[in-house]
Amino acid sequence: MSFDSSMSRDFQITAGVSDMRVVLRFSGDLDATSAIELSATFNSYIENSYGSFVVDLSDLDFMDGIGLRAISDAARLLRSLNRTLILRSPSVSIRRILDINGLADFIRIELGQVDPLRLGRVDSLVASGTRLSGAESRGIELGDNSLLTIPISFEVLDTVLMLVVNLVKISLARADGVSVSLFREGQIRTVAASNQTVLKMDAGQYATQEGPCLDASTQGRLFHSRSLEEETRWPSFVPIAQSLGIRAIISNPLLAKSRAVGALNIYSLAASAFGNVEQRLSSDYAKEISALLTRTGVVLSANSNAKSLHGALASREAIAQAQGIIMERENLDKEAAFDSLRRLSQDDDQTLLKHAIDIVDSTRRPANDADQSSGGPSA
Amino acid sequence: MPESQAGVLDRARIELGISQSQLWLLYFALGGMSAEFEMEAFLVGALRPSPHDHDLIAHALNELFSEHGRNHPIPYLADRQVNGMTKFIERSAPSSE
Repeated sequence: MSFDSSMSRDFQITAGVSDMRVVLRFSGDLDATSAIELSATFNSYIENSYGSFVVDLSDLDFMDGIGLRAISDAARLLRSLNRTLILRSPSVSIRRILDINGLADFIRIELGQVDPLRLGRVDSLVASGTRLSGAESRGIELGDNSLLTIPISFEVLDTVLMLVVNLVKISLARADGVSVSLFREGQIRTVAASNQTVLKMDAGQYATQEGPCLDASTQGRLFHSRSLEEETRWPSFVPIAQSLGIRAIISNPLLAKSRAVGALNIYSLAASAFGNVEQRLSSDYAKEISALLTRTGVVLSANSNAKSLHGALASREAIAQAQGIIMERENLDKEAAFDSLRRLSQDDDQTLLKHAIDIVDSTRRPANDADQSSGGPSA
Repeated sequence: MPESQAGVLDRARIELGISQSQLWLLYFALGGMSAEFEMEAFLVGALRPSPHDHDLIAHALNELFSEHGRNHPIPYLADRQVNGMTKFIERSAPSSE
């Protein structure tokens, strides 16, 4: 028996039976949209089958936290029926999350012939805002950050951080709100928040100039308040948090190139909600966000208006082209090619951009001349 | 980078009357790849820029100085390295022995 069920444009499940076990093979992207339908499909297959249940991830390109949640729910349902979920070929990062969440105890893992780079890492998938090719993922695994040192706008970065914030909230069962705060233009701000309460909690810290978020952001280390009732470190902020119903807070520092630039903040309405497992998981997420902040490299300033930004991007492109031409002509590396351009600019007091444009144009002229001499259209 | 070099860049920026954000945009336009907060750290001496980053910032400032009739007053690290090598070659040349 084998049939296909299209869940979304990219995501597909191929269902079949092998060795008396139901096998669901996922392919494409398992994201929030497809995960909703996936849960219903899971339940239907579980209800109409017996014995072990296999989910094969060997052909899956991408899975976010909501997809992972759907699989976890299916595993719990199967366990309640004294059945086992077997996860075939999960990536290293998925295995790690299962382990941290205590799900590894009742999900059996089968490691198939899977390319360990295939799924990449969560941060690598979100860093560029696009899915990476195998070669690019390989670059990340080898620690070649240059591939991901890309300019992105605050808008794109904050959208990604919003996704991560929701991912953290889903992953930590006792988290009631999650936010990311970052220094921008000399001020700390909440750039992604899962709800209004966490926004108010952060605002309370900015107003009183104290609290775990600020301390984690400036001191670059974890701050955990197990129970605000017993908290003495932030006397002005704690009453504000308590008035919002908050009982426990954990703030992990976010680092970009080893420099503290903000914090990942998680609160719970229950005291002592965050034990060792939650601390480890939140710390892992903070490290992933830090990697993302480091790899994004250039974050375009909100101060940069569209016109000046457009001009800057056009200038970069022309200079990069000219550098490429010089590198090839003179067998130089990129930085030496820049120095060459810079010295031209210094010698005749013309801008470096002007020289770059001249160099790029010089490569086009012969073709235009050839067109003209052969009776082609004049420029 | 010695603090005095960071100081040179930031003093030049202040002299030219531009904000750190404006300087960062000029640096970015030249092909710089560091984030704005990193430039902030370069300028106060909290982070050490690569020699190439230093020269990109220096050039962004020097182009503005050129507009005011001053020809590239901020020195480039790449030139110092070249000059240092030149001196070494001169010292090592047979004629100087």
